[in-house]
Amino acid sequence: MRSRRKAVAAVPESVPESVGESGADPVARYAAALDGALHGPRAAKARLVEEVRGGFEDTVAAYEDEGLRREEALQHALDEFSSPDDLAPSCQRELTVAQARHTARSVVRTAPFLAGAWLLVDTAREPAHPAHQAAQLLAVHLAAAACLAVFAAAIALAVTGSLVRRAGTPQWLPKAMAWTGTAASVCTAAAALTLAITSLMSADWVIVAGAGALAAASHALVAGSARACRRCARLPIAEPAGIARLG
Amino acid sequence: MKADAVRGHLDGLLLAVLEQGPLHGYAIITAVRERSGGVLDLRTGTIYPALNRLERVGLLGSDWDAVGERRRRAYHLTDAGRASLAEERSSWREFTAAIGSVLDPAGHVRPAT
Repeated sequence: MRSRRKAVAAVPESVPESVGESGADPVARYAAALDGALHGPRAAKARLVEEVRGGFEDTVAAYEDEGLRREEALQHALDEFSSPDDLAPSCQRELTVAQARHTARSVVRTAPFLAGAWLLVDTAREPAHPAHQAAQLLAVHLAAAACLAVFAAAIALAVTGSLVRRAGTPQWLPKAMAWTGTAASVCTAAAALTLAITSLMSADWVIVAGAGALAAASHALVAGSARACRRCARLPIAEPAGIARLG
Repeated sequence: MKADAVRGHLDGLLLAVLEQGPLHGYAIITAVRERSGGVLDLRTGTIYPALNRLERVGLLGSDWDAVGERRRRAYHLTDAGRASLAEERSSWREFTAAIGSVLDPAGHVRPAT
């Protein structure tokens, strides 16, 4: 077995101030820098950063066990892990998929709200004025578009989950999910606004306003997640490199 | 041997070292290094997103273990992970047999089909 000592011999002895300086714990600083470089669902990001931080501490401890000083051990661990900026794209890849799945789940969760809104509009009496009829029809069509987004989101969840175990996630999928979520968000917002205005002129204003409230709830579920997904989809990602070196 | 030669087998390596039981990230890296006789050294930082991906697709499961004041995430193979590892082994044997029969036809006996 090749010991860590062999790898140590190939690394310059100088320890840059980046890891050797006194004050804040360098491991905590590394984790904070990585945390700052990553974007994605809060829980998934916190977990990934905590795991990397733990691995970093384990690596430092292994070098210290071999007799290196703390500063040297930190430098060698940094060489193994690479800088937070270099590591971020391979971590971001998984977080971008996690954000796409989060957005897809948010879109899927709007399905009952949209179904409810549709049913309420269906039970409301036909508005007398043609303009009101058109507005109600528009709301129904917007809700239908949002339902298509729900269908697309369900497919995205299947493609990125256990149904497709070994096939890689298509690179365009997070971006597609971001814009699907955005479309659902815009449609539900427009439907909510249209139904709110229609309710003012409708004989069954309570029912129409209720449908509008359900559409607004759908918008609230999706909007933030879709925005976060668009940001993640713009970030650089990289395939995990896997093998660092062959002896 | 070039690193390119083993690219694409990271999943198989990770699944294989977890066959004996749960391990956390650093222990997985150590296990791969030991089992390969020091030849394979996994890139330390990028192993964590790879483990997260394998868990997402259902090939691994994981639990947090308390180690003093810290927590470590220990990964284990799921049933789907075991099945996937068996497939990975089978395709690796076919691949190496095919390459071996071309590179070293005298010393390589082609398996009966």
